[in-house]
Amino acid sequence: MGTPQVDGFRFLPPSLRAWIRRSIPAEPFPGPIPWTPLKRPLRKTTFCLVTSAGISLKTDLPFDMDREKKEPTWGDPTHREIPRWATEDDIQVHHLHIKTDYIRQDLNVMLPLGRFREFEQEGIIGRLAPTCYSYYGFQLDPRTLLQQTMPKMAAKMHQEGVEAVLLTPA
Amino acid sequence: MTLTMTPEFHREVGIPRVAAIAYPYGRPVGQVGDREGQRAVLLETLAFLERAKTPGEVHHLPFQWPEEPSKTDWQPPEISPVVKFFLEEIKRAGREARTPKDS
Repeated sequence: MGTPQVDGFRFLPPSLRAWIRRSIPAEPFPGPIPWTPLKRPLRKTTFCLVTSAGISLKTDLPFDMDREKKEPTWGDPTHREIPRWATEDDIQVHHLHIKTDYIRQDLNVMLPLGRFREFEQEGIIGRLAPTCYSYYGFQLDPRTLLQQTMPKMAAKMHQEGVEAVLLTPA
Repeated sequence: MTLTMTPEFHREVGIPRVAAIAYPYGRPVGQVGDREGQRAVLLETLAFLERAKTPGEVHHLPFQWPEEPSKTDWQPPEISPVVKFFLEEIKRAGREARTPKDS
């Protein structure tokens, strides 16, 4: 017997589950899916980590929760750089759709910088890039995120020689 | 590649490589302080990255969250603005899902 399929809605209350399911198509994605082959073995590959959890450095501007409270269909479309050395002591988390306490207690549950630093030291991956990123995942209208924010992140990844990205949505 | 609790969104946007995990929102890599558990999830995810050959491939990771969904505390302390905004619509969706459809 194989691994059971993940039910992405099992942790949601039943009504919310029913409501969100309505907006997800039943059929597979119809269009072409982008594909960048992995060029080198993991032990030589430069990684970057990205999360949608609304994490920022304590020294940086937090994600804007006040505007979302006033405009419930708006989500902050900007991003924050998180240096590879960051730990729980360095970060703050602002997100109105999840309990954020766990991330403040152990950043690795969401943005596993510590685990990837270990993997780098152990030679499992080539390198963790100097800069990782967080944006804010609640985007009912993702145009600004896609057209302005993501290109900035991608340009810096390119500068830093990133070859593979692990995205952890919140 | 994406390590996600909600692989269903793949049908909406078309994600190149999906590692799906049955963990709660906000903790896709594992539990607080569980270094070995987090490493196991990430190593399995990296192994999938290395062997995936087809755009849109989904790999369901073989990990189970130790708590039942109803006992898992992942929700924000306050109901989120969008849920509050659409609350009547959400309740109606729940009622309709519970009502047996005419055959």
